[in-house]
Amino acid sequence: MRCVFRFGKLDRLRFVSHLDLQRYMQRALNRSGLPVAFSQGFNPHPVMSFASALAMGWESEYEVLDIKFTKHVPEREALARMRGALPEEMPVYSVRYVDDRHPSMMALVKMADYRVTPAENFEALKNGAREFLFSERVMAVRKTKSGEREIDIRPLCVLLTSDDTALVMRLMLTETDTLKPDLLLNSLSKLAGIETPEVRILRTKLLGLNAQGKPAPLMEL
Amino acid sequence: MELSQKIDRLMSRVQKPSRYLGCEFGSEKKDPKSVDVRYAFLFPDVYEVAMSHLGMKILYHTLNRRVDTYCERVCSPWPDMEALMKEEGVPLFSLETRTPVGEFDILGITLQYEMSYTNILAALKLAGIPLYSKDRTGGPFVICGGPCAFNPEPLAPFVDVFTLGDGERAIHQTVDLLKSWRESGKPREDYLRRAATEVEGAYVPSLYDVTYNEDGTIHAVTPKEGSGAKPLVYKALVNDLTAADYPDKLIVPYGEVVHDRIMLEIFRGCTRGCRFCQAGMIYRPVRERSMDRLLEIADKLVNATGFDEISLMSLSSGDYSCLPELAHEMVTRFLERRVKISLPSQRIDAFLKDTLKETQKVRKTALTLAPEAGTQRLRDVINKGVTEEDLMRAVTDAFEEGWSAVKLYFMIGLPTETDEDVLGIADLAAKVRKCYFSVPKEKRSPGLRITVSASVFVPKSHTPFQWAAQLDKETVQRRQKMLKAEISKLKGVDFKYHESDVSYIEAVFARGDRRCAEVLARASELGCEFDGWTEFYDNDKWTQAFKDTGIDPNFYALRARDIDEVLPWAHLDCGVSMEFLKREWEHAQKAEITHDCRKGCVGCGMKRYEGACR
Repeated sequence: MRCVFRFGKLDRLRFVSHLDLQRYMQRALNRSGLPVAFSQGFNPHPVMSFASALAMGWESEYEVLDIKFTKHVPEREALARMRGALPEEMPVYSVRYVDDRHPSMMALVKMADYRVTPAENFEALKNGAREFLFSERVMAVRKTKSGEREIDIRPLCVLLTSDDTALVMRLMLTETDTLKPDLLLNSLSKLAGIETPEVRILRTKLLGLNAQGKPAPLMEL
Repeated sequence: MELSQKIDRLMSRVQKPSRYLGCEFGSEKKDPKSVDVRYAFLFPDVYEVAMSHLGMKILYHTLNRRVDTYCERVCSPWPDMEALMKEEGVPLFSLETRTPVGEFDILGITLQYEMSYTNILAALKLAGIPLYSKDRTGGPFVICGGPCAFNPEPLAPFVDVFTLGDGERAIHQTVDLLKSWRESGKPREDYLRRAATEVEGAYVPSLYDVTYNEDGTIHAVTPKEGSGAKPLVYKALVNDLTAADYPDKLIVPYGEVVHDRIMLEIFRGCTRGCRFCQAGMIYRPVRERSMDRLLEIADKLVNATGFDEISLMSLSSGDYSCLPELAHEMVTRFLERRVKISLPSQRIDAFLKDTLKETQKVRKTALTLAPEAGTQRLRDVINKGVTEEDLMRAVTDAFEEGWSAVKLYFMIGLPTETDEDVLGIADLAAKVRKCYFSVPKEKRSPGLRITVSASVFVPKSHTPFQWAAQLDKETVQRRQKMLKAEISKLKGVDFKYHESDVSYIEAVFARGDRRCAEVLARASELGCEFDGWTEFYDNDKWTQAFKDTGIDPNFYALRARDIDEVLPWAHLDCGVSMEFLKREWEHAQKAEITHDCRKGCVGCGMKRYEGACR
């Protein structure tokens, strides 16, 4: 059986890289005393996977860790043990069990919600956002491992709005179609005719599609 | 803007932000307002090195057990971060609460290595603390401990108090004294004067006068009149390690550090008496932690950290009196939990076949052996009581048990060394190779790898070789080259050696006096820091610093001392007596060995300490 945790990565911990987080989580699982299953082979490691890697410098209150257990532990206890093994800046919000046949959390992710809080030029950015939403196509250069490629990012942005202090966005996050909030921010700044401001980026949700094909939070799928 | 925010803004611009986060699991969280004493503990090197240091973990733990004290860590920012801090006006800060170091009550600094001295000066500058002790009117007291505190003279003008010996108790005394001094309302000097008499092992350099002879040697080091300072400062000693504080939790770093594991100190001190080894002298006598206590600590630490490796630490782990039992118990206890046990700095003559098998069950890394010298004659000179036969037996055993990688450590430039001794290193490597091929093919593991490492010998204070000259660079380099050529003929054997320039500077400060402080100050002005790191060491700057200050490095590094010369550390007593060191120096020159004192007291002087040595 698999146990799925939703946790946060807040404050200073936004500067912990994904690679470091993986190693860190192994140790956290060791000290949690949870019945984590280990891989076979010469160098056994816990069978676990993150639903999505978070870029360095971003915070999140919706990270999802998918772990294989060797036996069932009551959800309350699993939650308490996990909380005890992680620092304050990595709060554990919820836990649920899924069947081994349940698709991996990583495979379920389709989009993510972000709050992007600029240090300045919020109004200009909102204007940029309006222009973005009225555009049919917005070309932007995406840097990938294989080089730079100009793509139309407009369809990759599912939702774009704002609240009192931040831009709020829902962006595609799949293997083939992904838009990162910093790239969108660059485009918005360009549209607004300003330099890209310094921002704080918070991931607020990871989403997949429910049986009706509607976006739904990962923990509810 | 708040300091913490300022620091956060630098994070996206530095190589490894995880060095500066500070909110690791296991780090102490206290309200700074709730304590009487704020203690900043500086390890003057980068985070990954600092977090691998056992001494800091012990002292951090013991200080933070006090409700009246909050000890926080400080590390040298890596040069990329340091440059940004200067640019943005960010002062040196503590990791836990990101408080400027200048706001603490005490700045404790550990002196592990002479080549970190410039980092100390850089840290003081970055903290905005006046460089010279005499210029400080407020701010933290700068207190240094660690092995290099036994010859602290090159740092004397920069440091308020040195503490010699074990820190577990003495560090508390510096804190208690601070509280009592503050209540007294007396001036800053009063803390220093009282430290000299009330803190075990404390040496306050400003309370001493140094006079010199015409030839530049020291005439005398004497306490200032009326200062109350002792003519001879004895080190602090913790007799019972089993009862001593040891961490029951550890900080788990986010990024990778040098020693990413649990360090379990099984004993302190060493009875071997290798004549080049400062640690072997200054940490005397041997004090073991009981096996029960070690197992108790190991259990707690595995639970508290989630580390999957425990390393048994000491100067010579093979000498632990019940090592086979301990290793066996540890391996069986932790096997199921996938925790590996490793034994570093293994001495070949203490090699136990059974222990080998036990450690192998969990982990098989390279076997590390330190014959130190290539010929029996030179091994006798340095009193490395190891014979070629011991070495061959140990490696053959290891090869038969499935090891295929061996690391061999040597030194070049030991007193009385000849070309023949150096060539003996290649000869030993060849013989080790032969041992491997003498094991039947079906019994041995494939892929033989022998690594020969040769460092350059640096004479250290408080050792029988404290009177010896360091070998000049030209000869060192010639011998390195000669050995390299010889070893290149051996297939499967790699040769690694140290740059002689750094060892030369290290030799100057290892036996330097107060006048060397000016060189440090000048080198720091010229931008020297992280001198222990090849990529930052700048020999030209050091040459410049000696030139600018008119100090001759050869006087300190290359000069053999007269046996009656007043040494810069003559007033600092590590427990081993000057008479013993002199005797050992004489034996060395005649290549006479002195046996391990477990086989009977050799009269090193430790017995002068009440109850220290059994």
